[in-house]
Amino acid sequence: MSKKTNFLSLGLVRGVFAMLVGMPLGMGLVTLIRLAVGLPAWNAEPAWVVGGLVGAVAFMIGVGSLSDWFKLAAGGELPEHPAGAVNGWARYFNFTLDHKVIGVQYGVLSLLMFSIAGLFALIFRTELVQTGLQYLNADEFNTLISLHGIVMIMAILLGVAAMSNYLTPLMIGANDMAFPRLNSFAFWINVPSGIFLLSSLFLGGFDTGWTGYPPLSVRAPLGIQMFFLGVYLFGLSSILGALNIIVTVVRLRAPGMTFFRMPIFVWSAFATALISATATQLIALSFQMVMFQRLFGMGFFDPARGGNVLLFQHLFWFYSHPAVYVFVLTGLGTISELLPVFVRKPLFGYRWVAVSSLGIALIGFFVWAHHMFTSGMSEFLRVPFMYSTLLVAVPTGVKFFSWVATMWRGKMSFETPMLFVLGAISIFLVGGLSGPPNAVVATDLHLHDTYFIVGHFHATMFGGFVFPFMAAVYFWFPKVTGRMFNERLGKLHFWLMFPAFFVQSFGQMFIGLFGMRRRIADYDPALGFEQPNWLITIAGMVIALSVLIFFINLVYSTKRGPVAVANPWRSRSPEWLLPSPIPEHNYPQPLEIVGEPYDYGLVGSVFVRIPSTAVIEEPVK
Amino acid sequence: MNDGKAVMRANLKHFIGAGAFVVVLTVIGVLILNTDRLLPPAAAAQAASIDFLFSVEFKLIAFLFALIIGVMVYSIIFFRRKAGDTDDAVYMPGNARLELAWTLIPLGIVIVLALLGSRALAQTTRIDPQAMEVKVIGQQWTWRFEYPAYDIISTELVLPVNKQALLRLSSVDVIHAFWVPEFRVKQDAIPGGERLLRITPTQLGTYTIMCAELCGRDHAYMNAAVIVKSAQEFDAWVIEQTEAVSDDPLVRGQQLAQQYGCLGCHSTDGTVIIGPSFYQLFGKTESLEGGATVQVDDAYLFEAIRDPGKTIVQGFPNLMQPTTSAGLTDEQINDIIAYIKSLK
Amino acid sequence: MTSNTVSESYAHRLATNRLGLWLFLLSDAFMFGGLFITRVYLWGDTRPELNQTLGLIVTSMLLISSFFMNRAETAMAHGDRKGFLRGTLVTIVLGIAFLAGVIGVEWQIAPFGVSEDAYGAVFFMMTGMHAFHVLTGVIFLLIVWNNARRGRYSVEKHWAVEAAAVYWHFVDVVWIFFYPALYLIGKVG
Ligand code: HEA
Ligand code: HEA
Ligand code: HEC
Ligand code: CUA
Ligand SMILES: [Cu+2]
Repeated sequence: MSKKTNFLSLGLVRGVFAMLVGMPLGMGLVTLIRLAVGLPAWNAEPAWVVGGLVGAVAFMIGVGSLSDWFKLAAGGELPEHPAGAVNGWARYFNFTLDHKVIGVQYGVLSLLMFSIAGLFALIFRTELVQTGLQYLNADEFNTLISLHGIVMIMAILLGVAAMSNYLTPLMIGANDMAFPRLNSFAFWINVPSGIFLLSSLFLGGFDTGWTGYPPLSVRAPLGIQMFFLGVYLFGLSSILGALNIIVTVVRLRAPGMTFFRMPIFVWSAFATALISATATQLIALSFQMVMFQRLFGMGFFDPARGGNVLLFQHLFWFYSHPAVYVFVLTGLGTISELLPVFVRKPLFGYRWVAVSSLGIALIGFFVWAHHMFTSGMSEFLRVPFMYSTLLVAVPTGVKFFSWVATMWRGKMSFETPMLFVLGAISIFLVGGLSGPPNAVVATDLHLHDTYFIVGHFHATMFGGFVFPFMAAVYFWFPKVTGRMFNERLGKLHFWLMFPAFFVQSFGQMFIGLFGMRRRIADYDPALGFEQPNWLITIAGMVIALSVLIFFINLVYSTKRGPVAVANPWRSRSPEWLLPSPIPEHNYPQPLEIVGEPYDYGLVGSVFVRIPSTAVIEEPVK
Repeated sequence: MNDGKAVMRANLKHFIGAGAFVVVLTVIGVLILNTDRLLPPAAAAQAASIDFLFSVEFKLIAFLFALIIGVMVYSIIFFRRKAGDTDDAVYMPGNARLELAWTLIPLGIVIVLALLGSRALAQTTRIDPQAMEVKVIGQQWTWRFEYPAYDIISTELVLPVNKQALLRLSSVDVIHAFWVPEFRVKQDAIPGGERLLRITPTQLGTYTIMCAELCGRDHAYMNAAVIVKSAQEFDAWVIEQTEAVSDDPLVRGQQLAQQYGCLGCHSTDGTVIIGPSFYQLFGKTESLEGGATVQVDDAYLFEAIRDPGKTIVQGFPNLMQPTTSAGLTDEQINDIIAYIKSLK
Repeated sequence: MTSNTVSESYAHRLATNRLGLWLFLLSDAFMFGGLFITRVYLWGDTRPELNQTLGLIVTSMLLISSFFMNRAETAMAHGDRKGFLRGTLVTIVLGIAFLAGVIGVEWQIAPFGVSEDAYGAVFFMMTGMHAFHVLTGVIFLLIVWNNARRGRYSVEKHWAVEAAAVYWHFVDVVWIFFYPALYLIGKVG
């Protein structure tokens, strides 16, 4: 517990060093095996893949994530605290069991990945301002869009994990996740994953988009193996993290916290986890098959050898469609969670909103082929998939209408988190409503693989994840740090980002309708897209500027912000009973749940009680 | 629990206000989302039913957007908290009948939408037994069009107006997609089988076929012209094409090299695009992967074209597929060799 | 580290662990499901020519191993440490024999290579992924066996034993689907 932690003792640093040792070891191993069986000693692909895997394991050992399990396997007992647990800022760079620290770790890594991916976007957007190729060549462009896509998606998954890790145990009155070690493991595996993804930039890149369709991905440069490896590892993280959430929610709820008394966010974290824990296997499998086709020449996707290129798309989208609901459900949960607090009214139709999350998750499993309407899959499959896809609009609609009804005759106030919630609703609405034209096969024949789709998914992901995430960061900032953020900078952030986003997304949809294809480094000047493209790029830069302001606010306020009052938003959720920042073991005594979570305006209603101490009460006058 | 009706009566004034808001927003939305201005001109029969669907969808979007945003903005304006007011708002936890309504009504809407969608899809895929068949072959990064009925190979797609064309799409390497924005419809061309697309052009003119599926480096440039001609002009074109087959092997070879996309990867001026340049190729000593060298002669060239995987030129990826030249007869390959020889 | 809001009894912890394990298996089942779909997609109603006798032998070895695993676990639950060690050892040996049969023999005598065609691709992928699970199961059992030998488990507390057993049965059940998919369904193509 020493305050002065030196740099070299940080888990992260040890992990990276171990990785630097592990990777050459793995490569050497491959070379030796190849020599032993009489192949030419050096082959870059297997060397990098195996080197990467060994490096990832070495990283986890270096971080200290595996020590306890090794001990257990060797017949030892699991210690309550990992050896050499640290306090202070250093614990954020170390193996730790505290779900709140892990949540913050996820959040910071998410923001870092988000910035990197955003930076990639700014670079290739600059290229798109004019026709012709100015700064990038076509291969660099393709690599950048692909990395932009996948790194953003990783950032979202990390952000989702950040929120559900930090909040779920607090909201159900638990003191940690069900499997804290697994939780920590799931976080740390993301570090090598991120390193691999970004390293593909230096290994020839890859020109397939984030979807990695074969046969193109079979012919892509070495970089694609690192991309696959990276996705593989954060997929693993997703699965393990999700499993943990499900078990936590099922097993560790405080007495009296029935399913229908859980804060609504927990519902969405639960529904999200159900998807992640199962569907993720399929993207791993599909990528693994391409990896093996490259490494061992297995002919899964080679029609000349009885393979089939559509098989990949089915497996890939079986995950990657449900994945978009992973991105969005947590965000929608956040909206539902924050809205009542700032409207001072109960969440309208709590049960309907709760169940609609499960509905979205469930239907989400049966719609994947809407990404394949033009792929040449069996004709007769297109119509059923159109029906199932459109069906998702129904539970999503329930959420929207319930939100509007929540606002109706409320007493709204507009602090920064609320601004982001309202922004999220309007943006996600745009994104969601641009879904049905894609879902209807006939119109998708025009829209598929155009910028209309690009506009659609930026709107859904900004509205469904980015804005709610920002709202969540602002909302729980005082809880995490004990200090308030700067409200003026927060509002500035919002008022830059919100309009800029609309320009960006509407611009994308507009040119898409007119025939701007996705994933093109250059476009025909005759189409007259220069002006809208220029506008989209400027809008992207304004978004980046606003994000920079956001970061400045976070860093400054963490250090210098005014000390926050106990419950600045007058929320009824149990985490606000605790001091900020929250001590390591959350609740000193078990909570007792005695009422409904959102009964704002019901005089004398109580949600949570800590027996024998204070009662969290609505300040009903 | 609040009775739904009582709430409604109390809210009447607000309902009328918000309703007016929604109507105004819907009208504005419908005006902005006018499909005539938001889509390129339609030039095929298939486009008509798709455009109709677009206009239905955009109107629906305008209304739903107005419905949610209208009520939300109304609430923001009229239901904001007064300064200093720390009371909670009215207690309104939910209303099952309302929830049921906004579950079932959207359900009805999407079912109707899906029905319309299936109808439109059926119209776009309607079969005309008289259709003219064209084989469309995609290849990194060119298109080739073969007219089996006329024995024509072309790098542009020429179609007679008002006659259905049945395109048989395939690819020799990776996935490509055939798309002409003015025709609206799109179909991937995949390796390992033909996929069908039906187009009935209705407007004379020249449009651009764009490859709509990321297919590697030059995906952005994988375009070709589609020219819609009147029936007479089309017949004239057919005659011109069939007669145009030169008796000079060199000219034929050049045409084939163009049509089969060889020139997409092999330059004729010494620069390296993807593969080795054809310029001064013949007669030179080529070093191969694995250390051997070979004198480039007719036999070597023939093999390098027919079975490209057999010998790999030092320093180049094994990207050229046997499928690239699968459609070429031995004679045609010899024509190409004649052409390569001429590039000195 | 469990929540102190609910009783931290071993029984509670055990139920939590069980749920976690079953969820993990559910997740893994999706991966095997994906492989199964791949087989159906690429092979349709055909199958490659494989050595039926060998298939039957390895399959029965795996099934028998499951029986011994069950015996071993029951023995542990009754405090019969010797019985447990014996049963587990037999399971491990049978598991290794299965691996030897699949990797050591079937892979070598298969009438197609990894990279030849879809038969090779799917066959090696399915058996490979399954064998990988068998291997991890064997390692898991070895760890449990070693710890049991040193008296780490009791009648009341032997979660690791239970987990290893459930995992082993799961891997076995997967093979019950894979065996017909590879050896029985469809015409020899
Ligand atoms: C957060 C992510 C997210 C979300 C939530 C969604 C939500 C939806 N998406 Fe989207 N989508 C993506 C992310 C997302 N999508 C991504 C990333 C891609 C591209 C992947 C790639 O190729 O790279 C994509 C692509 C994509 C396609 C493939 C397009 C193509 O490539 O051709 C389709 C087609 O059906 C589609 C449809 C839908 C639909 C119907 C919804 C629905 O869930 C929307 C439901 C919501 C509403 C409809 C609005 C609110 C509802 C009401 C107000 C009720 C009343 C409404 C009606 C009666 C209609 N999406
Ligand atoms: C959450 C998901 C997400 C987000 C937020 C974004 C954000 C942005 N996206 Fe992205 N996008 C995707 C997900 C996302 N994108 C996906 C999945 C694809 C598909 C890829 C594919 O086709 O395969 C895609 C594709 C895509 C395309 C299509 C490319 C093509 O098909 O050719 C375009 C083009 O305009 C684009 C633009 C942008 C822009 C301008 C932003 C801007 O909003 C970015 C704003 C900038 C930032 C957020 C960074 C700000 C931070 C700093 C500047 C500080 C730096 C500090 C440090 C490094 C510490 N994106
Ligand atoms: C996808 C790109 C691509 C296309 C299309 C392509 N080639 Fe190639 N070609 C290559 C590459 C790469 C090589 C070098 C590697 C090799 O030898 O296979 C090559 C090698 C060759 C060689 C041997 C050259 C030498 O230096 O020895 C010949 C001849 C040739 N191609 C002819 C053709 C012809 C004729 C066509 C059209 C029918 C064609 N190529 C289409 C990429 C292509
Ligand atoms: Cu061909 Cu893109
Ligand atoms: Cu989808």
